[in-house]
Amino acid sequence: MSALDISARAGRKAFAAAEHAWSRLWFQERPTTPLELVRIGVGAALLLHYLSASSYLFEFWGDAGLLPRALALRDADPWMQSVFFYFTAPWQWIAFDALFLFCCAAFTAGWRTDWVKWIVLIGHISFVYRNQYLIYGVDKILAALLLILCLAPVGRAISLDRVRAVRRAKRARLDAVLPPYSGRWAGACTRLMQIQMAVLFFYSGTTKLMGEEWWHGDALWLVFSSEEYYNGLLLDLFARAYWLVNIATYGTVLIELAYPFLIWQRATRPYLLAAAILLHVQFAVFMGLFYFSFVMIMGHLSFLRIEWLRRLGAAWKRAIGDMEMIYDGKCGFCVRSMVWFLAFDGLQQIRVRDFRKNPSPVVSDAQMEKALYLVLPDGRALPGFEAYRYAVLRVPGLWWQIPLFYVPVFSRLIGHPIYNWVAGNRGRLSSILLRSRRS
Amino acid sequence: MTAKVWRERVTYTAMSLLVAWHTLAMVVAPAPGTSDLIKGLRTVLDPYLQLFKLDNQWNFFAPDVGEEGHDPLGVILRYVIEDNAGMLHRFDPTAGLNWWHPSSIWFRAWYLALLGSQDDFGVQFAALFCREHADLHPVTITLYAAEQKDYGPLDRLRGKQPLDAEFVKVTTEKSFPCPP
Repeated sequence: MSALDISARAGRKAFAAAEHAWSRLWFQERPTTPLELVRIGVGAALLLHYLSASSYLFEFWGDAGLLPRALALRDADPWMQSVFFYFTAPWQWIAFDALFLFCCAAFTAGWRTDWVKWIVLIGHISFVYRNQYLIYGVDKILAALLLILCLAPVGRAISLDRVRAVRRAKRARLDAVLPPYSGRWAGACTRLMQIQMAVLFFYSGTTKLMGEEWWHGDALWLVFSSEEYYNGLLLDLFARAYWLVNIATYGTVLIELAYPFLIWQRATRPYLLAAAILLHVQFAVFMGLFYFSFVMIMGHLSFLRIEWLRRLGAAWKRAIGDMEMIYDGKCGFCVRSMVWFLAFDGLQQIRVRDFRKNPSPVVSDAQMEKALYLVLPDGRALPGFEAYRYAVLRVPGLWWQIPLFYVPVFSRLIGHPIYNWVAGNRGRLSSILLRSRRS
Repeated sequence: MTAKVWRERVTYTAMSLLVAWHTLAMVVAPAPGTSDLIKGLRTVLDPYLQLFKLDNQWNFFAPDVGEEGHDPLGVILRYVIEDNAGMLHRFDPTAGLNWWHPSSIWFRAWYLALLGSQDDFGVQFAALFCREHADLHPVTITLYAAEQKDYGPLDRLRGKQPLDAEFVKVTTEKSFPCPP
C-alpha cells in the first residue's frame, strides 16, 4: 500500500470522525418539548408585556409621541428595521398592534405556529427599533430566543397544532395514537438555544470581573441602595451583616461563570440549572425584575433533559391512575366530542370504551344510554358533567378548562343542565352534524 | 447516487452552515470589538446582528453597577415648574410610577434619555409635563439631575436614607418654555 493510500485512508477516517462528532453535537434526533416550554413561557410573557404597552402605543412608539420618527431614524442603522417606520395613519398602528397581540396569543397556544412565530418576531423587533431608548436586557434576550424559536420546528408538542394533528388521526380511529414528533433539526435548535444561554452567562460573568464593585464584593449593596432597586428590608439586614453582601455578590459571579462550563455535564447540569433558576427567582423577588427573570428562566428550560420530562409525565400518570371513558359509539356527536377531548390528552391518561361494541362491567347499558361515564382507578364511575370535571383537573392538556369547570357552585349549576340537555338531544345533534358535513 | 441522498446531503450541509453561522453570531456579538479578528468578523456579521437585534452585550450591571449601557443607576430626573405668578413647584416623576407595571421601566428609561439628550427631547418633555400640570398655569420648566452618592452600611445603621440630601448631588440642567 502506497503512502498516498495510507494518508488518504487516514484523511477519510479523520473526516468521518469529525463528521460523526459534528452530528452528535448538533443533529441528534430530539423531541421539541423543551423548546415548546420556552415557546409557551416566552409567548405568555410577550403577550402580557405588550398588552400593557397598548395604552402607550402612540406615546412611546407613535410619530406624534415622545420620539418623532425622524429622531428614531437618526439613530437607526439601515438594517435596524421596524414596521412602524412605514406607517402613516393611526389605524395602522392599532391594526398592527392587534395582529401582533393576537399572534402572541396564538404563539403561546401553539396555533398555526409555523407562521405566527414570524409575526411575533417581526412585531417584537419593530417595537424595539422604533424606540430604542426604552429597551433593556429582557428585550434583547427575547429577540435572541425568538429568532431561535422561529428557526425551530416548534408547535409539534404541547400546542393546538398538535391537538389538531391528533384530532385528525383520531377522526379516522378513536384509539389511534400519533407518535410524538422528534427530529434532527429540533435537536440543532435546542442546542442553539443552550449555547445562547451559556454565551449570555459567560459574558455577563466576565464583564462583571472587570468592575471593581464586583471584585470587592460590594455590587449588591449598590444595587439595593439605588433608587431604582431600593429594598429597605434587605439594606437593614445587609448593614448588620455586610458579609452577606459579599457572599451574594461573589455568588452571583460564581454562578454566571460556572454555568457556561458545567451546564453541559450530566452530573452537574441539575445543580447549575437549579442555581441559575434560583438566582433569577431572587432577581424577581428582591429587585422586582419579574419579566426579565421569567424570560431567563424560560431560556434555561432548554437544558431540561427529555428523560426528566418523560419521568415527570410517567410519575403524574402513576399518581393519577388509569381512567376509562365509556361512550356511545353509535352517536356521531359523542364520538366527535370524544375526539376533541382525547386530542388534549397528551399523556394518554384516558382509555376509551365504546359500550355498544364492548359493554362495561362497571356501568350498565341503561346508565350509558343517559350519559357518558368515567371509570376511576378505584372503580367508581362518574357520569356526564362530573366525568368531564374530574378529568379536566387531572389531564394537563385540559387545565385551560379549569376556570370553566371549577367556579364554585356556578359551574355545577350551569354545567349539569347543559350536559343533560346535550346528552338528551345527542341523536338530533348528531344528525344536524351529519347534515352539515354532507352539505 | 439517488436524488434522495443528494437532497439529504444538501439539507444536512445547509443545516450545518446555518447553525455554524448563528453560533458565530452569538459568540461574536458581545465580544469586545478591539481585536482585528472580531472587527473583521463583525463586518460580515453586522447586517445579520442588526436585522434580528442580536447585537447585544449581555453586560447586566457590569462592569460597574451604575454604568450598564445607557441606563445609569442612581440618576434621577427631577423638574421644577414655574407658574405664571412666579411660584416654583418641585416634582419627582419617578416617585409616582407604578412599580408593578412595565410602564415604570419605560418612563424611567425615557427620563434618562431626556437627561442624556436634552436638545433632542426637551421640547417634547416640556410639552408633556406642562400639559400634565396645566392647572398650575406653567410658564417654564427646569430639569434637574439628582445623582446618588456614596451611601454605606454605617449610614444605614445611623438611620439615614439613600435619598437624603447629603447623599444626592443635584445638578441644574436646561430650562424650557411651556408651549402656549
